[in-house]
Amino acid sequence: MGKEKYEESSSDEEVNSSSDVVEASSDEEVESSSDEVEASSDDVESSEDESSSDNEKVEESDSSEDEVAPRNTVGDIPLVEWHKDEEHIGYDIKGRKIKKQPRKDKLASFIEGADDPKNWRKIYDEYNDEEIELTKDEIKIIQRVISGRTPHAEVNPYEDYVDWFEYEDKGHPLSNAPEPKRRFIPSKWEQKRVANLVRKIRAGLIKVSDQNKEEEHNVYSLWTDDTDSVENKKRGGYVPAPKPKLPGHEEAYNPPVEYIPTAEEINSYELMYEEDRPKFIPRRYLNYRSVPAYDKGVKESFDRCLDQYLCPRTRKKRINIDPESLKPKLPSRKDLRPYPTTCYLEYRGHMGPVNCISVDPSGQWLASGSTDGTARVWEIETGRCLKIWEVGEVARQICWNPSPDRPILAVVLEYDVLLLNSGMGDIDIQTKMKELLHISEPGATEDAGDSKSAVTWIQHEKHDGIRMKHFKAVSSIEWHFKGDYFTTVVPSGDSKAILLHQLSKKHSETPFRKLGIPVTAVFHPSKKKFFVATKKFVHVYDLSKVEKIQKLETGVREISSISIHPGGENIIVGSKEGKMCWFDLELSTRPYKTLKVHSKDITRVTFHRTYPLFASASDDCTAYVFHSTVYSDLNQNPLIVPLEILRGHKPEHGRGVLDCKYHPRQPWLFTAGADSIIKLYCH
Amino acid sequence: MPPKHYRAPGKKKEGNAAKYITRTKATKYLQVSLNTFRKLCILKGIFPRVPKKKFEGNHKTYYSLKDITFLAHEPLLEKLRHKRAHEKKVKKAKARKNKELAERLLNRMPTYKLDRLILERYPTFVDALRDLDDCLTMVHLFASLPAVEGERIQVKRIHNCRRLSHEWQAFISRTHSLRKTFISVKGIYYQAEVQGQKITWLTPHALQQVLTDDVDFNIMLTFLEFYETLLGFVNFKLYNSINVKYPPILDPRLEALAAELYALFRYVATGSTRKPAENQSISSTEEKKDSDEKMDTCVNESDLQLAQLQHQLPSNEPGALMQLLEDSNNDDDDVDQDTIECKTLFKNLKFFLSREVPREALLFIIPAFGGVVSWEGEGTPFEETDEDIAYQIVDRPTQGHKFLSRHYVQPQWVFDCVNARIILPADAYMVGMVPPPHLSPFVDDEAEGYMPEYAETIKQLQATAKKNVMPLPDLDNQDLADPQNLIADGVMDRTQANEAAEERRKLQLLEKQYHDELKMEMSGITYSATLSNKKSENSGSEEMQHKDEVVVPVSTEKNDEDDRAKLYMSRKKRGLYEAIEISNQRKKDKVALLKERKRKASASKSG
Repeated sequence: MGKEKYEESSSDEEVNSSSDVVEASSDEEVESSSDEVEASSDDVESSEDESSSDNEKVEESDSSEDEVAPRNTVGDIPLVEWHKDEEHIGYDIKGRKIKKQPRKDKLASFIEGADDPKNWRKIYDEYNDEEIELTKDEIKIIQRVISGRTPHAEVNPYEDYVDWFEYEDKGHPLSNAPEPKRRFIPSKWEQKRVANLVRKIRAGLIKVSDQNKEEEHNVYSLWTDDTDSVENKKRGGYVPAPKPKLPGHEEAYNPPVEYIPTAEEINSYELMYEEDRPKFIPRRYLNYRSVPAYDKGVKESFDRCLDQYLCPRTRKKRINIDPESLKPKLPSRKDLRPYPTTCYLEYRGHMGPVNCISVDPSGQWLASGSTDGTARVWEIETGRCLKIWEVGEVARQICWNPSPDRPILAVVLEYDVLLLNSGMGDIDIQTKMKELLHISEPGATEDAGDSKSAVTWIQHEKHDGIRMKHFKAVSSIEWHFKGDYFTTVVPSGDSKAILLHQLSKKHSETPFRKLGIPVTAVFHPSKKKFFVATKKFVHVYDLSKVEKIQKLETGVREISSISIHPGGENIIVGSKEGKMCWFDLELSTRPYKTLKVHSKDITRVTFHRTYPLFASASDDCTAYVFHSTVYSDLNQNPLIVPLEILRGHKPEHGRGVLDCKYHPRQPWLFTAGADSIIKLYCH
Repeated sequence: MPPKHYRAPGKKKEGNAAKYITRTKATKYLQVSLNTFRKLCILKGIFPRVPKKKFEGNHKTYYSLKDITFLAHEPLLEKLRHKRAHEKKVKKAKARKNKELAERLLNRMPTYKLDRLILERYPTFVDALRDLDDCLTMVHLFASLPAVEGERIQVKRIHNCRRLSHEWQAFISRTHSLRKTFISVKGIYYQAEVQGQKITWLTPHALQQVLTDDVDFNIMLTFLEFYETLLGFVNFKLYNSINVKYPPILDPRLEALAAELYALFRYVATGSTRKPAENQSISSTEEKKDSDEKMDTCVNESDLQLAQLQHQLPSNEPGALMQLLEDSNNDDDDVDQDTIECKTLFKNLKFFLSREVPREALLFIIPAFGGVVSWEGEGTPFEETDEDIAYQIVDRPTQGHKFLSRHYVQPQWVFDCVNARIILPADAYMVGMVPPPHLSPFVDDEAEGYMPEYAETIKQLQATAKKNVMPLPDLDNQDLADPQNLIADGVMDRTQANEAAEERRKLQLLEKQYHDELKMEMSGITYSATLSNKKSENSGSEEMQHKDEVVVPVSTEKNDEDDRAKLYMSRKKRGLYEAIEISNQRKKDKVALLKERKRKASASKSG
C-alpha cells in the first residue's frame, strides 16, 4: 500500500518539483500509513518521508521496489534465528528498536481471516514484521508476472526506438590535439602531381575527353599517289569476297507477267523440299506506293556479313567451255567406209528369241538357233530359209566349222552338242561329211580315261549327226580355225570345265584344271594359243606346252563375251555392265581402252575377219559398230573410232540384241534379236 | 615401322598441317576470346580457307596460318586487350558505386583507328572502290533504320550512316556517274561507275525497317564500324578529286527541313564551280539584290540554284543564265562518252515531285542525269506552279489539278528512262494507269535466251532515237516538253508500225507452214522424214523464228553423233560434258517456262 502511495507522490513531485508540495504530500502519507501501521511513531514516519523524498530526487528509476526504504534496517540477516528470543525485530533508521508485534494465536488469526474477505490478499512481511494487504493493482501485476508478461499493462515493450543523442553532424573529437599546420598549407605532392598532369596534357600524352569528341571527323587523304605505285601489294592468297548476285527481272516490283508463277506453281513449291524451294517468289505491285517494306532486308544483310567472315574462300576455275570442244577429234566417218549403216534385210521365221547366229565361211549361208527349239539355215542374199532342224531344245549357241570343206554346224543345247551336217557343198564333200559324222562303235571314244564321264559321243539318229552328251550344261562352243578341233565350256564343270575335242578322232580331253568359273573360251586365230575368260580375267594358254602365258585383268564386273582380232594380238572383252575393254597383248595385261558403250549387258562382241571393224551387241537393243586399225608399227597404238549405232530391234522380256556376227568377206553385220528377227546391216 | 603420320620429334610440320590452323587453335594461339577473334577477322578481312586435306576433320573451320601470324602482329590486338581491361575497370567502379570514377573512366575509353587497316586492305584507291558494294549497301541499310534511343543501335551511328550515304549520293549525282537503277521488291538498286569500277548498291525502300531478333547486331556493327571508316575516307578522296572540301558544311536551314541531300548537292555544286563562276557570282548577286531583297542567305552559284534564280528573275535575261549553265558544263572535262550521255539525258528538263513520291531516290537520280528537280515543301528551288516544269512525278490514283503544260508520270518512268538512256513516251506511265513491266537493267537478255516484250519495245525505241539525232532543245526554254513530246509520238508510231509488220510476217509464215504440212501429208511423207528436209530448208531460209521449232524434236541422227563422241571421252570429260548439258537444259527449261507463261497470259487476255 505504502509503496503505491509513494509512487503516486513521486509522480506528483516530478511534475511540480517544489518542496512545499512535498511537505503537503508527506502529511497525507502520514495519515494513510497510520491507518495501517499502529505501532509507528511520527519520527519514524517523517524520517521515512525524508528518505523517500531524498531517494526520489536522486534517482529517477521506475522500479517501485528500489525506492521504498524498509522500516527495518538490520540488513540481510537470518531474522528468525537471531531475533527469535528478542522483543524487537531490528532497528529503524534512527537506531530505535522496532518492537515485535504481539503474536496472534492461530485460532484468533483464523477467525479473523475467515471474517475478513480480503484475507486472501494479505501476506506477512517477516522482515518488517507486518501484514501487508495487496491492492488490486498489485495482484494484477503479480498475475502478469506469473503469466510472463510485463508487470505494468501500460508499458509498451516494443516502443519505437528513439535515439537518446543526435550524433549526426555533431563533431565527436577523439582527440583534443590542436589542428596541425599541414592542414592549412597546400600539398606539395598534389602540386607535383598536377604539374605532371599539366605537362602531359600539354605534350598531348593525355587527351581530355572533350578533345576526343571533337576529333570525330578525322579523315584525310589516305591514298596518296605514292601508295598507288608502291609495292604495297596485298599479301598473297587474298581472295576478295564474291559480289552478291545482281537482281533479275523477277525481282522487280512490277515484273513482266511471265515471271510471276501461277497459283498452282506456288502450291507445288509447298510440296518441295525446303532446300529446293525457291527463295524468292516474284510478286507484282501495280504501283510504287503499294510496295511494302522488305521484311528480310536486315536478315539478308546479316547473312551476307556472316558469309563474308565465315565462308571459306577459294579461287575456283570457272569452266566456261564450249561443250563441243570437249568432244574428241575423231577421224571423219566418211574416210572409214565401208561399214554397216542401214538395215538391208530381215530374216523372219523364228518363233522365239534368236539366241545365236553364225555365218558360213563361204559367206553364203547363215545359221541361227532360237529358243523355239529350232536351228535354221538361211540364204544370206535372199533371206530364204533353207533348212530347219527341230532340235527340241533351246539352241544356245551355233557355230559353223571354219573349214570350207567341212560344212558342219555345231549346235549347243542344254547338255548336248550336236554336230550336224548342213548339207551344203558338192557330193564329194557330202560323202566325206557322212563318213566324218559317223560313229561306228558307240564305245570307241571311251578310251580317254579322264573324259569318259564328261563327254559321250553318240550317233544322232534323227538328224544324221553326232550328239555329244556332256555331264553338265554347256555354255559355249568354238572351233579351231583348221576345223578339226573345237572346244566347249561347261561352266560348272570344275576341273573339267574346258573341254577340247577332236572331230576326226571323236576324242575329248580336259587339259586345263583349276580355273575359276569359265565363261567362254576361244582359239587364237593363227597361233597355238588358247584364251579362257573367267568372270573377271582372261587367261592365255600356250596349247603346245599346256601352260598359262598371260592373265589379263579386265577390271569389269562380269565378262560376257570375248573376241580375238584376226591379227591375234588384240582382243576385246564385253562385260555385263555394258563396258567393253580393248587389250593389246603386247602392251599390257590391263585394258588399253575401256569404252562405256551400252547401258545394259553386252551380249556379244565380234571382230570382222578382214575389214578393220568390230561390233558389240547389247540388251539395250542397239549394236555399235567400231572402226579399229591395228598398226604393224609397235609404237603406234591401235585406233578405235565409234562409227555407227544400229537400232531397229525391239526389246522383248528385257532383252535386246542377243548376237551379232560379221559377214566373212563383206562389211555386213548380222544381228539376232530377242524379237525373233535376224537383221542384216549393210554399208 | 613407324606409324603412317609419324613425325620425328623436333621435325617441323609439313603440308597442310603446316599451312593451316583450325579456328579453336587460332584463338588459343592468339590468346583471345572468340568474340575478339571474330572482330579482328572482320576488321582485318581475314577469312577461312579450304585446305586440300582437312587434317583435323571435315566439320572444322581452317584459317591460313600466315593469316593468323599476321593477326598476332596486329597492334589492334593489343588495343582491344587494353579496351577490355578498361571495361573491367569501369565495371568495378560501378560495382563500388563510384559513379564519378566510372564516368571519368568511360570518358577515357581507349580508342583505336582503322585508317591503317584500310590502307593495308586496300593498298590502292581502286581496290577500295572495287570492294565498295557491301559497304554501301550496309551503310544505306543502317541509314534507313529508325534512329531511336534505346534500340540496339546508337543513334549517333545511324546519323553518321545517313551523312555518309548522302555524301556519297551527292558525289555520284554531281559527277553524273550513276548508270543503272532498278526498283526491286527489296529496295532500289543503283549502279554507278567510278574510276572505271562498277559499284552496285541497294537502298531499302523509305519505309520503317523491321528489326528481327534472329540477327546478331554485334557482328553487323563491327562490319559497319569498318565500312563507316572506309566510306569516310573514300568520300574524302572523291570530294578532293572534284575540288570540294570534305567534310561538307551544310546549310542548317535545309538540314532542318530534312533535305540534307539537296543541301549537299548545293554544297558540292558550289564547291566545284567556285573558280570558274567567280566573276559571275558578283554580277548575279547584284542582280538578285535588285530584283529581290528577301532572297535567302545562300549567295553562291550552282546550276541547281539557277532554277531559283530563274524563277525570280524575269525571263528577259536568258543570256546570263545560259552563260552560267555553260560555265558549269565546261568546268569538268568529260572524256567518257557514257558520262556525257548520262549527263544530258534530262538536260533542260524540270521535274516536280509530289508529296507521295519517294523523294530521296528521285532527288538523287534526276540531278544525276542532268535534270532539275523540286518538291513540295519549304526551301525548294521552285514551286509547283512553275510553268517550266516538264514532268511532274506523281504516285496517286488521280490527280486533282492538272497543268496542261506538263506530263504527270509515275516514278517508274524515271527509272525506265534512266535504264534505257532515252526519254520514253510518258503515255504508258500516266497517273492511275498500270505502268508497263519494270525490267532489270542487270540482265543480259540475249545471254539469258529470253527477251521480255517490253525490252524489245525499248530496244526499238532506242534504235529509232539513235537514227534521228535527238534535236537539242532550243535556246528558248519556253516549251521544252513539246519537242520531246513530238519525238515520243514519232517513236511511238514507228514502234507500232514495226510491231504490226512483225505480226503480219509471223502470220504469213505460219500460214505457209500449215500449207506445206498439208501438202506433205497428202503426199504421204512421214514426219521424221520431213524433219530432215525441213532442216535443210530452214538453214537456207533466214527466218529466226523457226530455229527453236527445229531444235525441239531431237533427231536421232544428232543424238547418235553425240553418243558416238561421248563414247570416246574419258570419264572425267564425259561427266563435265553431261553437267554442262544439264545446266544448258535447265536454262532452256526456264526460258520455255517463261514462254509458256507468256503464251497463257496473252491467251487469257485475248480470250
